[in-house]
Amino acid sequence: MTANPPTEAAILEALHQVIDPEINCNIVDLGLIYSVVITNGVVKVTMTLTTPGCPMHESISWGVKNALSGLEGAKDVEVEIVWDPPWNPSMMTEAGRAITGCR
Amino acid sequence: MAASLPISVGVKPAPVSATVFTPSKASTTSIRLPLQFMVVGLLALFTGTGWLVAQPDILAVSRYTPGAVAVTHLFVLGWLCSVVMGAVYQLVPVALETKLHSERLAQWQFVFHILGFVGMVFMFQTWNMKWVGYFGTVLTLGVVLFIYNIARTLGHVPKWNVIATGVVSALTWLLLTITAGLFLVAGQRGYVPVLQFNPIAAMNAHAHLGAVGFFTMLIVGVSYKLVPMFTLSEIQNHGRATASIVLLNVGLIGLFAGILLQQPWKLVFVLVIVAALTLYGWELRTILRARKRRALDWGVMYFLTALVMLFPLSALAVVLCWPSLPANQFTGQLETVYGFLGFIGFVSFAILGMLYKIIPFLIWFGIYSKHIGRSQVPALADMYSAPLQAAGYWTFLAGLLATAMAPLFASVTGVRAGCGLLVLSLVIFAMNVGKILSHYFRPKLTPLGVNRTTTRTAP
Repeated sequence: MTANPPTEAAILEALHQVIDPEINCNIVDLGLIYSVVITNGVVKVTMTLTTPGCPMHESISWGVKNALSGLEGAKDVEVEIVWDPPWNPSMMTEAGRAITGCR
Repeated sequence: MAASLPISVGVKPAPVSATVFTPSKASTTSIRLPLQFMVVGLLALFTGTGWLVAQPDILAVSRYTPGAVAVTHLFVLGWLCSVVMGAVYQLVPVALETKLHSERLAQWQFVFHILGFVGMVFMFQTWNMKWVGYFGTVLTLGVVLFIYNIARTLGHVPKWNVIATGVVSALTWLLLTITAGLFLVAGQRGYVPVLQFNPIAAMNAHAHLGAVGFFTMLIVGVSYKLVPMFTLSEIQNHGRATASIVLLNVGLIGLFAGILLQQPWKLVFVLVIVAALTLYGWELRTILRARKRRALDWGVMYFLTALVMLFPLSALAVVLCWPSLPANQFTGQLETVYGFLGFIGFVSFAILGMLYKIIPFLIWFGIYSKHIGRSQVPALADMYSAPLQAAGYWTFLAGLLATAMAPLFASVTGVRAGCGLLVLSLVIFAMNVGKILSHYFRPKLTPLGVNRTTTRTAP
C-alpha cells in the first residue's frame, strides 16, 4: 500500500523542530520558510537564512531534510536555499518576535 | 494533495530506517583543528598572566628586559596568534562562503607554531638571540604555510568584499611583522650590519606591524561580517567600511617608516590610523543602531567593550608620537600602559568575546549538527552560563584597569593584584569552556515532541 503524501500542516509542524541555534528560535517562526511544494510525495522546501555565509547554513538545511524525511509518505526531500528576497524580521511570526526579542 | 495526516505525524521521531542527512565534511573545517589552536592559546594566556603575578616587576618597573620581551612574545605568539590562527582557519571559509584549502598544511603549521613560539619564549628569557633566530625561523615556516593556506582559500572566494580585503591586508602585515622580527634578531647578531636603526625604534616598529597590521586589521575586517551576523543587521555603508580598511593600511605604512626612522611626521600617520578607526567606529555604531536583535549577549558585550579601549589607545598613541615628547621614566611607563592596553585590553578582550561565539559553535557543529531535525538540540546560548560570562566580564575589566594603571605608579602590588583578577577571570572563562566542552562528552538531546518553550510555539 502506498502512503499518502504528508500534508503541508504536518510538514510545518515537523519544521518547527528545526532551530537556528544561534538565534534560539525555530525556522518557521523565524520566517525562513518561503514555500513548501509537495509533488508526487517529493517535498520541496524553498527557504532562506538570516544572513548569507551563515555558519549554520549546512546544518539547518540538512536538519530540514532530516525532519521531513521521517514523515510518512515523504518519498524525497529537496531543500533550496535562496537569498532573494533577503530575510528580514518582518517575515517573523509574532511568536518568533517574542522569542527572539527582535523589533 | 493527498488526504490529511494526523498532526501527530509531524512530531514523530524519525524512524530508524529513515535516511539521515549530515553536513558534508568536505566543505567545513573539522572542529579539531581550530580547537587545538585555541586550547594552546588559552594555556599560553594562563601561563603569561600567572608569570606576571609571580614577577609583577616585569610590567611595573622594567622595560625591554629579557623577561618583558619573553612574556610579550608568550602573549602575542602563544595566546593571540594561536587563537587567531585557529579562528581564521574556521571563520574565513565560513565568512567568505568557501572552504579551507588544506587542513593537512594547517596541522603542519600547528606543529611549527608550537615549536617556534615555545622555543622563542625560552630563548628570549635567557637572551640567547642565536636560538631565538632558529626558533623564529621555525615559527616563520609555519606562518608562511598559514598565509599560503589562507591565500589559496581566498582564491576560491565567490564574491570579493571588504571582509576579504581586510583579511588579505592582515595576512600581508603578518608576513611583514615576522620578517621584521627576523631582521631584528639578525641585527642583534650582527648578521645585517647595513641596518643601523635604533634597536628600540626597530622593536616598536615591529610591534606596531603586528598589533595594528595583523590583529587590528583582522578584528576590523572580520567584525564587518560577525557583528551584523550576531545582531541581525548589515553593513550600512560599504564605502565607509572600505575607507576604514584603506586608511588603516595607508596609516600603518607611514607609521612603520616614521617609527623606524624616528621621524616627527609619524604623528601624521597616527592621525590617519585614528581617522580609520573613527570611520570603523562610526560604521559599527550605524550597524548596531540598525540591528534587529535588541538584546546584546555577553559575547558581543566583551567585543564592544574591547573596542572602547581604542579611545584611550588612540589618545596614548598621539601623546607618545608627539614630536617634542621627552624620553623619561614617565613616558616609558606610558608606553607600558599603551602596550598592555593594546594587547590585553583591546585584542585579548575582543578575542575572549569572540571565543564565546566560536567555541560553542565548534562543539555544537561537531556534536549536534547530525541530530538537528531528528532530536531537539540545545541552542548555542544553552551551552554556557550567562551569569559566569557576566562575572568573567566584570572581573576581567577590573583586572585590566588595575593592571593598566599600576605601571604609572611603578606599583608591583598593583600589577600583582590586577593580574590576580585577570587570572580569576580566566578561571571563570575556563569554567564556562568546561561547560561547553561537556556537551562533547555528554550531548544533551531531547526527543522530538517535548515542548521547548523558548524556541517553539504551536503552529
